[in-house]
Amino acid sequence: MTMTQDTAPDHDIALIEFKGTTLPVLAITLRSLDPKELTSAGSTLFGEGAFFDGDLAVLDLSQLIAWPEQIEWTLIVQLLTTHGLRVLGVTRGNSALTESAANAGLPALALSAGRSVKPAPVAKKTAVADPELDKIPASLRKTPAPEASPAAPAEAAKAEPDEALLDNPGTLIIDRPLRSGQQVYARGGDLVILAAVNPGAEVIADGNIHVYAPLRGRALAGARGNAQARILTTVFAAELVSIAGIYRTFEDGVPAKLANQPVQVRLAQEPVVSISTGQKSRLEIDILRVD
Amino acid sequence: MTRIIVVTSGKGGVGKTTTSASFASGLAMRGFKTAVIDFDVGLRNLDLIMGCERRVVYDLVNVISGEATLNQALIKDKHCENLFVLPASQTRDKDALTEEGVEKVLKDLEHLGFEYVICDSPAGIERGAVMALTFADEAIIVTNPEVSSVRDSDRILGILQAKSKRAQAGGEPVKEHLLVTRYSPKRVEDGEMLSYKDVQEILRVPIIGVIPESESVLHASNQGTPAIHIEQSEVAEAYKDVIARFLGEDAPLRFVSYEKPGLFKRLFGG
Repeated sequence: MTMTQDTAPDHDIALIEFKGTTLPVLAITLRSLDPKELTSAGSTLFGEGAFFDGDLAVLDLSQLIAWPEQIEWTLIVQLLTTHGLRVLGVTRGNSALTESAANAGLPALALSAGRSVKPAPVAKKTAVADPELDKIPASLRKTPAPEASPAAPAEAAKAEPDEALLDNPGTLIIDRPLRSGQQVYARGGDLVILAAVNPGAEVIADGNIHVYAPLRGRALAGARGNAQARILTTVFAAELVSIAGIYRTFEDGVPAKLANQPVQVRLAQEPVVSISTGQKSRLEIDILRVD
Repeated sequence: MTRIIVVTSGKGGVGKTTTSASFASGLAMRGFKTAVIDFDVGLRNLDLIMGCERRVVYDLVNVISGEATLNQALIKDKHCENLFVLPASQTRDKDALTEEGVEKVLKDLEHLGFEYVICDSPAGIERGAVMALTFADEAIIVTNPEVSSVRDSDRILGILQAKSKRAQAGGEPVKEHLLVTRYSPKRVEDGEMLSYKDVQEILRVPIIGVIPESESVLHASNQGTPAIHIEQSEVAEAYKDVIARFLGEDAPLRFVSYEKPGLFKRLFGG
């Protein structure tokens, strides 16, 4: 048998490297697919020239009620291109629309669930999260990252609290049990769970975490460093809780007075430097009293 | 329409193969044309428990790789008229199981008129286990009343909800059933074992049965007879109840409470 020589040059640096990333993409909700109507609407909103700066865009088809038999996708894309947008594809359309768009070279892109873009009268910049909703980059998980990427919706929420209230970046609601090995991440928002989080499951949110069932797994709130985030559960039996990277494990089970109680976890008001752990703050875990 | 049922657990040694053999036999005894497939490629033992190990000529991998036809590989059970066994290969490695191959075998079984196909999953969460559950319509999660088994069952339920075709298609999900095996009411009473209610509380899956721990299972396995055939044993009765519940009949849980032996029995021995 002849051996084939490995001809790959011995580089110190990999020529191709893979990294996950998130790009800001505009979601453009269309309520008509008639090029004429869209042209006049576009002119009213953006004038005649390139309003946008080559921004990436995805066409949200969820608000369409009627559309022509022959949809002139090329004209629609052309129109948006004149306004300075680069259309990547379509999202949230029904199967007929999606297929028609696909035939015109516009692929269906998954806008992650739980962050529906509210219909707005004017085009609004809204970041589209990566479709891998359940995954979170390892780098974000244990270390709080205060300098979030420009695309991070959490950043906007911090800077303009009123805006965040009006245009919630998306609370993720989960109503099935989370099982050992499963992980859910609410990027840029709160996580509400209406079923048990079992041992070995991990729930993460940039905002608060609410579990209206037994919390037996790991819960990490304020994953991007929001020290105001809280974890609330009706039945506390967690393996680990963390707020903004300050964590606590329960090797011998949770303290008896907290076990299986409704509990609130938050960071202490005054930062305390722990000598043993070097952590600059401390978690407060209290029985949740609802009056 | 063939119903495909995977018997799985994550953890090894909890009674998957025993359950697959008895469940398949029970359905066949009720008159359904049933096939049971061993997905534990490399470590086959369903054929031993079914008592047909000496009749294995071709196996699942032979069929998938086109070296044998399905009819050549199916072994007719010695106890039940309507039951056929498709054994696993002992010599090939698990990479031989391709998704397309498994799908074709299941399709072919449907064409042969099988009403139920039971997939006996290997332990673990690797290829064999994933292939066994990929095409399932229903799943029987076999769990022992102890924490590591419950944890592994939880894990496999998560995989079932992520990787099965039904989950990926986004339609009606795989119907899940919890089967607690090797249950000892006395040890539960003594606080040494989780109760079936504890197990269900964690896994949150409807319970289809509780099979008591019994010596007779080991004897039956060694003799190559599925436990459901042991006359007048609690285990056989419990498995028959499982079949009844699976077919939608009403059967209250039996053999789950511990009755203290009376004074007479304690004095003179049982």
